[in-house]
Amino acid sequence: MKALFMILFSVILVDNLVLSKFLGICSYLGLSKNLKNAMGMSVAVTFVMLIATLCTWPIHYYLLLPLGLGYLDNLVFILVIASVVQVIEAIIHKSIPPLYRAMGIYLPLITTNCAILGIMFVNINESYNFMTSIFNSVGAGLGYMLAMFLFNGVRTKMEESNPPKFLQGLPITLIASGLVSVSFFGFKGMVQNLF
Amino acid sequence: MFITLSLLSAKLWPLFADGISTAVLAIAALALGLALVIVIVFHFFSVETDEREEQLLEILPGANCGGCGYSGCQGYASALASGKDKTFNRCTAGGAETAAQVAAFFGQAPAAYVPKVALVHCQGSNEHVRVLYQYGGSDSCATANGLYGGPWSCSHGCLGFGDCVRACEYGAIRVDHGVARVNSEKCIACGACVRACPRHIIKIEPKYTDLYVNRCANPDPGAKVRKVCNIGCIGCGLCVKNCPAQAISLKEKLAVIDTELCTHCGKCASVCPAKSITVGL
Repeated sequence: MKALFMILFSVILVDNLVLSKFLGICSYLGLSKNLKNAMGMSVAVTFVMLIATLCTWPIHYYLLLPLGLGYLDNLVFILVIASVVQVIEAIIHKSIPPLYRAMGIYLPLITTNCAILGIMFVNINESYNFMTSIFNSVGAGLGYMLAMFLFNGVRTKMEESNPPKFLQGLPITLIASGLVSVSFFGFKGMVQNLF
Repeated sequence: MFITLSLLSAKLWPLFADGISTAVLAIAALALGLALVIVIVFHFFSVETDEREEQLLEILPGANCGGCGYSGCQGYASALASGKDKTFNRCTAGGAETAAQVAAFFGQAPAAYVPKVALVHCQGSNEHVRVLYQYGGSDSCATANGLYGGPWSCSHGCLGFGDCVRACEYGAIRVDHGVARVNSEKCIACGACVRACPRHIIKIEPKYTDLYVNRCANPDPGAKVRKVCNIGCIGCGLCVKNCPAQAISLKEKLAVIDTELCTHCGKCASVCPAKSITVGL
């Protein structure tokens, strides 16, 4: 149990998906302007993380490894994640329309999101077991949500300020996200002493 | 037969036992399986989307402001497509152009469209109202309103902390001398400010350049209004008596002009002793 909490803590704060692994930057910059979109995307990412782990972990350990095809993870995971997201999108669209309207539009975006694939590889490379993998993936999704939430606040403040012209728009956004990222490195020392 | 097949496969198997063949076969089988799953799921869970709804969504400006009375463009488009709503000029953001396009989509002549605009029914700027107490709370009308009815003498006037300014996504409102003013050029009449105003003094009005409107929301009797603001409507009824179109009525002690009946003659504004009836946006 302690190990699970340690994983959860470190994947949310220390090894934050966006702020220290630099995965999923595209959607992070694109959707953090508006809190509602940011949260919708975050929930969708967390959800797909969970579903993708439920599919990729067994496929790696029960299909690819016995056949000696561990090196094909890359190809197979892309295929599996894309298909699974498509299937889920169709099911949600039909059976839970309100959820589809809130989250569905982000699902196709996630199909090819590097964040999902990245975390699937972390699960395999760190030889996490099934339960740990699930915690790691959901935690990564929550970390993404935290980063989105925090950065939305930064961006809202930034929109009211008036940076020099050469910094306006994307440059100041990137600098600010760099600073947010640096501040997250402060959690590095915490994890060893906490657990 | 079976024996021949098994013999054949036993002979053929070594050909496929190397790494690349296993890989190709495994991936092909996996891909085929996934494709099958997708086909089956899409067969059972396919949603019939109304093509017209999609097309209507293209026509609508996509502001999702809620000015039409639906939750967003999607709601209006679906109501139009299903025939539940036959009013084509609900979109305030798109204006006459969108109304004409929507009408044309249904093969009908464009309905008359009166552009609308939000209007603040108060002109009690700092020099017209008294300060009751020094307010030191957060910059929010809703908070200030909750504290003894706000720091200004008039309990129906604009508070000037800009809840409407923050609600407006189009930068159409600014606070000038303690009173919010709407820039009619930028306003799309989505109604976000109307909902944000804790005093309900912002209303959506037709966008006439010669719009006559009573810019006061205080329904108290004249003596009371005079004490709190020197530009408020005192409810004298002069405008009601002088209006040739009977477009003005007194609601409690507040003159209300019916914009549909108004003929824009301008008599009310000229007789108003309090100067609370104004012309223009």
